[in-house]
Amino acid sequence: MNNLRIAWQNVLRNRRRSLVTILITAVGTAAVLVAGGFALYTYEALRDAAARDFGHLTLAHKDYFSRDEDTPLQYGLADHAKLMAALEKENRIRRVLPRLAFSGLISNGDKSMIYVGQGVDVRGELAARGVFLKLVEGVLFGNNDEGSPRVLLGRDLAKSLSAKPGSSLTLLSTTTVDGLNAIDVEVAGIVSTGVPEVDKRLVYAALSTAQHLLVTDKVSTLAVYLDDTELTAPMLEEMQRTHPGNAVQPWWEQAFYYESVRGLYNRIFGLLGIIITALVFFSVGNTLAMAVVERTREIGTLRALGVLPAEIVAQFVREGALIGGAGTLIGMLLAGLTTLALLLLDVQMPPPPGRSEGYPLMVNASPTLYAIATLVIILLCAVAAWLVSRKASQKPIVEALGHV
Amino acid sequence: MSASVQPPVIELTGITKHYRMGDTDVPALRGIDIAIPVGAFVAVKGPSGSGKSTLLNICGLLDNFDQGRYRLGGEDVSNLDETARTLIRRRRIGFVFQSYNLVPVMTVRENVEYPLLLADVPAAERRMRVDAMLEQVGLAQMSERRPDHLSGGQRQRVAIARALVKSPTLVIADEPTANLDTVTANQVVALMRELGASHGATFLIATHDERMTSRCDEVRTMTDGVLQ
Repeated sequence: MNNLRIAWQNVLRNRRRSLVTILITAVGTAAVLVAGGFALYTYEALRDAAARDFGHLTLAHKDYFSRDEDTPLQYGLADHAKLMAALEKENRIRRVLPRLAFSGLISNGDKSMIYVGQGVDVRGELAARGVFLKLVEGVLFGNNDEGSPRVLLGRDLAKSLSAKPGSSLTLLSTTTVDGLNAIDVEVAGIVSTGVPEVDKRLVYAALSTAQHLLVTDKVSTLAVYLDDTELTAPMLEEMQRTHPGNAVQPWWEQAFYYESVRGLYNRIFGLLGIIITALVFFSVGNTLAMAVVERTREIGTLRALGVLPAEIVAQFVREGALIGGAGTLIGMLLAGLTTLALLLLDVQMPPPPGRSEGYPLMVNASPTLYAIATLVIILLCAVAAWLVSRKASQKPIVEALGHV
Repeated sequence: MSASVQPPVIELTGITKHYRMGDTDVPALRGIDIAIPVGAFVAVKGPSGSGKSTLLNICGLLDNFDQGRYRLGGEDVSNLDETARTLIRRRRIGFVFQSYNLVPVMTVRENVEYPLLLADVPAAERRMRVDAMLEQVGLAQMSERRPDHLSGGQRQRVAIARALVKSPTLVIADEPTANLDTVTANQVVALMRELGASHGATFLIATHDERMTSRCDEVRTMTDGVLQ
């Protein structure tokens, strides 16, 4: 005689009631898995975006991250070529990209605006990051960009300056030698980052153009791209050891929003998970409490035959776990189908606050999440069964046998 | 050991039992003394509320008493804890109830097998004993049926098989024929006598039924908690 088979037959005694409870458990499980999968997808997407934008690690002058510069590139890297050569020998490093941060005024002759610029190794950036900007107009970075005084403008900055691809503008900035310098540039393209506040100030220039403007050979930082994001922590330790004269920061220290979003989502989805599991808990508890009352006389009979109270409770716990198991099985199926449907249908989420573009609604099917959610829900169902059957199992046998 | 020196299966001495009903103390048993020898088929009759069921519940270790001493097969079971009492019921006492009290999700075979499973009897022996028991109660052909597909008489036969399959020393039967028609009741009484004798079980039966009392070795009358 199989205890589980008997437990399942007990579950099926009141089919409609059990079915409703199993469906509630299934929907709860699916909701937890889909919500959790969405959070995981978001964390992964943010992590990848941050690592792509900043580089997995950023190497800079030892004071670069901790002190404000009095003059441009006061804490820049003068020996960046040597550092790059040394870093590129490490086989876990995929690419090292020099970056130069600068700012100043940009003018079309009639109107001047403040800009925040970045000088980059054009081909290197494209190779490491792929197409990392949304091109609105013109060309992103065509051939022969290196060295040519061409720039990319953020969409809102271009709009303010009435600039189009081919327009001539003047960049003005403080140089590293206590003076001002201005150069004429041509607009190659207009781009969008999806964040209007950034697009209002954004200028991308070739590294040589930026260095020419600032009259320097230095760069601000070296962005280090690794073969795998998972290597970030060990490589951080390694680089801090091998470059004691420099500062090294991982991507998560630069991407402040990653931790903010993660903290927010953990709270939101954590609360959602608690509410859903509580609903499942009370639903299963209610169903089994009714079953316990209905079977009080049977409990008395079993006790008379010599079944211990703990064995009575174990039987109800098996029934609770079976309801939980069936519910989570169906729930996993529902969550899997939802994940697949979202993958195929390309549903877009509305833009988050402060952004101008939406993002795809995707859900990660994480085996760890599925395993944990399933175990927690089955465990809760078993605990609910334990709670409702414990008292009945202790009821005086004569009283239980006389139950009508 | 010969039967003449065997201790009584049930030996009650000065058993009293009271129930509290609100502020009132209601005596259910007033100093019961009884000794039932091995293999006896004893009925206790009396009007409703006379204390028959209370006496049977105490003898079956289903309920406690206030004062007195109870020896079951020579062993003093007066002060055992609930676990010890459960384990004695599991191995040595069978029950037949008025409403059969079969487990509805189990088949006839599973209902009869259940006490052996509780007693940790090996599977092969279980199968053999259940087959033999079902044969004896005439339900071998219905072994895979569920209780709700049986008549009242058939259900009571399953209950008798369940009570006797573990070869208990004592079978407690509370109004076992009350829900049966005359023909079926006679069959059930005959079956209980026959199987009781073949399994060496002692029967203690609470009943109003003359069909039952006329076939018992001894009939005692209970009145207001006193056994005549």
